[in-house]
Amino acid sequence: MTLDVAAIAEELRRLAAETAAGEHDGWAALEAAVRDLDETDLQERLRTAKTSWLLARATHGYRAVKSCPARPERYCVVATDGSVLNPDRHSPVRYYVINLGSVVLSYGEAPRAHLESRARLYASEEDLYLSDLSRRVPISGTVLGFKRAVEELRHAAELARSIEPPVVVLQDGTLILWGLESQPEFVANWALGPFLETLAQLREARIPVAGFISYPGSSDVMNVLRVSVCDYPLRGMPVNCDHCRARILTEGHRPACDILPDVSDRVLFEQVLKLQPGARSPVYASASTILDRYPEADRIHFFYLHTGTEVARVEIPAWVTRDRVVLDLLQAVIVDQCSRARGYPLALQEAHELAVIRAEERREVEILVDRLLAEHGVVLRRSAKDRSKRGRYV
Amino acid sequence: MSEQAVPERLGEVIETSTVGFVAECDELHCLPPLGSLVRVNGPADEVIYAVVTYGETGSIDPGRRVVRRGSPDLRDQAIYQQNPELRHVLRSIFTAAAIAYRREGRLSYLLPPLPPPLHYSVERVLPGEAREVTDQPRYFAILAQYRGEIPADQLLAAHVRHLYELRERDRDWLERAARELARIFKHDYDRLVPLLEALDPDLA
Repeated sequence: MTLDVAAIAEELRRLAAETAAGEHDGWAALEAAVRDLDETDLQERLRTAKTSWLLARATHGYRAVKSCPARPERYCVVATDGSVLNPDRHSPVRYYVINLGSVVLSYGEAPRAHLESRARLYASEEDLYLSDLSRRVPISGTVLGFKRAVEELRHAAELARSIEPPVVVLQDGTLILWGLESQPEFVANWALGPFLETLAQLREARIPVAGFISYPGSSDVMNVLRVSVCDYPLRGMPVNCDHCRARILTEGHRPACDILPDVSDRVLFEQVLKLQPGARSPVYASASTILDRYPEADRIHFFYLHTGTEVARVEIPAWVTRDRVVLDLLQAVIVDQCSRARGYPLALQEAHELAVIRAEERREVEILVDRLLAEHGVVLRRSAKDRSKRGRYV
Repeated sequence: MSEQAVPERLGEVIETSTVGFVAECDELHCLPPLGSLVRVNGPADEVIYAVVTYGETGSIDPGRRVVRRGSPDLRDQAIYQQNPELRHVLRSIFTAAAIAYRREGRLSYLLPPLPPPLHYSVERVLPGEAREVTDQPRYFAILAQYRGEIPADQLLAAHVRHLYELRERDRDWLERAARELARIFKHDYDRLVPLLEALDPDLA
């Protein structure tokens, strides 16, 4: 054992005590901010605000909580999840694998289930690298993550479109490919193209898709509350975070929004707004800049949902927010799915189980590659560092 | 009982050894009864006969625990109706102890020379064939030495009861079986008597 746990245990104990003690600091201010929220004034503040944070724009007001609609007697849920074997820098052969787990669960008069995992290996030049003539980007790590997201959505849509409605598609995680913002243009286009095309196909088939985020860390709604308590408008100025923050250094200024605790939207909806099991928050438009590249009908909105065990974030395309029947179906299906798997959608849970590549399976693939190479006379061509890790000695 | 033309496939071998094998059922809960006879092809065209010694149903993934799904309003078969994925994440397995093999038409009441290969099909033995294989209960000695999940006496009792019913309550065969058990346990009266009582109170 190389990590001396005893050496950090005392620090951890202190940290836990401090966290517990400070948990409710500023909550009175937060409760007051929620109580005093003036939506007309807020709209004006949001219209002119310059913030560095993401602000949740409510489509139907900030107080429109919706309890859980009745569970449909008959529905079908499609979920996919994927995992990857990244290209191995220490191996003489370059390839990656995407393993997709897909689950179709039908409920009603004749319940049935279809569970499948599908592995695919990618090894051709065009599968391994992206190029815009001047640059060459390897498809691995984060970039491979985008490809996986595309494949997950594409496979789910393919399955869902062959099923009798009502059908709901669930994905694990966000539908906002915000990580593409930092990628070169040709990489962003490569990932967004098929992703948006699939979202459009689902829209045309009127099949709702939702990205489910368990234990979300986002604070888009909390940021709106910060705007609502900002003192700049009281002094006739628009909310301007850059200006305000700069004054902290130059003038020792204390931002008005510092009275609010540093908590996420999950805590806000769970402990302050006290969302009831099955109920959802209002629907908000996300302000993520990558969404400017999504067609208007597919721009991602979100709501918070009490699944029965936690407050999760659910992301949906704009068209779903305008189709009340579909939105209600989606909410009821997610709550039902969560009730079947202790708080997390059952279909996603099973898709994950089918997708996950375990350590022993990773090792099995490596051994297979070694063996196949050996058949062609290529023996032990791994890097010295990798060999040193495998054959450990003292 | 009408003779089926083709033996019914129960599942396939997922663990194998000279003394027996573990098989996973094709269908959840479709386990062969304890003590019943199954067959599997050996690697050299022989047929290996084995007696079912144990059955179990659980999670396919040993890392995932099975949790309660029912309630006062949802129980038994209705749980499977309402949770269609269960048939895909659970599995039934059974173990079987080899008692004999047939090579080139000749039946030997011995352990097979080679274990059945992994993934080979395990089939239910048709009644006519089961009657033939079990006609002379010489192989009981192999079962009496069984060491596994259940006591050997329970296995023998289950096997004899199963065969007695399969043989349409053939009293002559039951007497032969009882005599064989008496021979095996002639030095162990305390084991023999409860075993015979378990088979048929008339024989005690």
